[in-house]
Amino acid sequence: MSRLRKIFLAPSWAIMIALFLTPLGIIVVYSALTRGAYGGFAFPFTLESYARLIDPLYLTILVRSFWIAAASTAGCLLLGFPLALFISRSGSRKNLYLSLVILPFWTSFLIRTYAWMFLLRDTGLINSTLAKLGLIREPLPLLYNDGAVILGLVYSYLPFMVLPLYATLERLDKNLLEAAADLGARPWQTLVRIVIPLCAPGIRAGSILVFIPCLGAYLTPDLLGGGKSVMIGNLIQNQFTTARDWPFGSAISLALMAIVMVLMYVFVRRDKESLL
Amino acid sequence: MKRRVFLGTAAGLASCVQDRRPRLNVFNWSAYIDPQTVPNFEHEFGCRVRYGIYESNEEMLARVMSGNSGWDIVFPTDYLVKPMLANALLAEIQHAELANLGNLEPAFQKPAWDSQLQWSIPYMVTAAGIAYNRKLVPPPAAWSDLWSARLSNRITMLDDPFDVMGACLKKLGLSVNSTNPAQLRAAQHEAVMQKPLLRAYLNAEVRDQLVSGDVLAAQMWNTTAQQAMDASPEISFVFPREGYAVYPDCMVILRESRHQELAHRFLDFMLRPQVAAANALAARTTSTNAAARMLLPEGFRNNPTLYPPPEVFVRGEWADTLSPAAQRLRDRIWTEIKSA
Repeated sequence: MSRLRKIFLAPSWAIMIALFLTPLGIIVVYSALTRGAYGGFAFPFTLESYARLIDPLYLTILVRSFWIAAASTAGCLLLGFPLALFISRSGSRKNLYLSLVILPFWTSFLIRTYAWMFLLRDTGLINSTLAKLGLIREPLPLLYNDGAVILGLVYSYLPFMVLPLYATLERLDKNLLEAAADLGARPWQTLVRIVIPLCAPGIRAGSILVFIPCLGAYLTPDLLGGGKSVMIGNLIQNQFTTARDWPFGSAISLALMAIVMVLMYVFVRRDKESLL
Repeated sequence: MKRRVFLGTAAGLASCVQDRRPRLNVFNWSAYIDPQTVPNFEHEFGCRVRYGIYESNEEMLARVMSGNSGWDIVFPTDYLVKPMLANALLAEIQHAELANLGNLEPAFQKPAWDSQLQWSIPYMVTAAGIAYNRKLVPPPAAWSDLWSARLSNRITMLDDPFDVMGACLKKLGLSVNSTNPAQLRAAQHEAVMQKPLLRAYLNAEVRDQLVSGDVLAAQMWNTTAQQAMDASPEISFVFPREGYAVYPDCMVILRESRHQELAHRFLDFMLRPQVAAANALAARTTSTNAAARMLLPEGFRNNPTLYPPPEVFVRGEWADTLSPAAQRLRDRIWTEIKSA
């Protein structure tokens, strides 16, 4: 039995080692090397790249990235929870609604982000419609600011919030809601005191799934933010492209990974506690 | 019967795979060649060409850095020639193999980045200037015009550290290639002053917004501007009074190439006046080939955006390779500008 198990797990292990652990190892090695005179890397081994990270400039960028990621996660939660609740209660249409949630994944992320640019720009659909209705004279500055970045991130990662929430809401024991109603709870009270606490694992799972990719996002801030401010993902990208400083880029990537893993640890531990 | 069909097909496929003609691998910028050039070369020299395209120097460099990318010829911008040479990526070019080398413009016969043309052959050249919508009156003539409050939220700069710093340095009357920390800090100050006026830092994607009038003026490369001007008569382009950065793209042969002889044939083919003229005309770019320029239609040859007159051309400054220390300082400054 255990031998069979090993055989069946072998391909997954091979893929994990070849495509995940090896590149990660290379990044770890790069992060401890010196920048080559014209890009690439050179010896000796040094921890200078890590020392450079301790700098108010990069801390500001990190704080900004956290803020954007947190705001996007909150947005996903605010939109995703009612949606998940609605889907879990829509009977035979559940599957249709769930497919609609996943539908955007059928087109490329890049194209969907470009589509938002066409909606938000000065002569875009929203501004031109508002102008035709006579509601505005000057176009609203919808594109190239933090709001546009958060909007784009919420849009992109909403399904990652809806699906885990739906899974927990689906498993929710309906008898508990009836019992709450019988005991005189108003619908609002039932939601706040019964449904939301019981959904905590789903909320946490969805929040992690949204927060982590938002923290490392670089395409959305670039396209919808107009490159006017950097998130940590743009900083890393820049090190590997124009700055040609691979060691520093590797060090930032690893620092970001470490932060994400600490966060995961805190969340997962709380999840275990709540299961007890 | 079915088996015979299968075997026949398999044999056909095998014969395709085993095409004995040598294969040259050419990796070039997108839309930078006449579509007929490669087929003509294949036909004349009895070879096959695998032709790939890229969108940025960084993308190309990341691929060829390994030394076994499978490409034979790539087209780096001038400032990458020294770094590529330092990383042992380039093969020496044998001038005896290039009968058409003399066709290059005199200015490109002994360029600063490779004075003997030992490792690189200039191909096309791009420059950074200002594209603007004709609604903007008076039209901009200098970089300093992009600091005017009347353009608030209607201007963009390129999302490229060298170009933004270059414009700021030129505004201050300094070299785009400056490595002097005090000068670079002064340029940073200019960039930070300008940032509140900017709508965004955008590259080629600003084109549509310039045509639609959302953006009135944009720092832009002249070849991109030419595409915008072709699409809309509303757009115009100016080489700023203070001077501007010029980026020659070069053809180089990679050291890893196993087709050195064929690669030289390709370079020489690209240097032929007719071929170079067709490429410049199709891509609507600026050829470095003097003989080719003579073959271009007069309207194209006198296009002031692509072929600026000599008194404008002399204001251009070739982008140079930056020292590691200067590169690091510039990167930090760029991050500070973006975080300001």
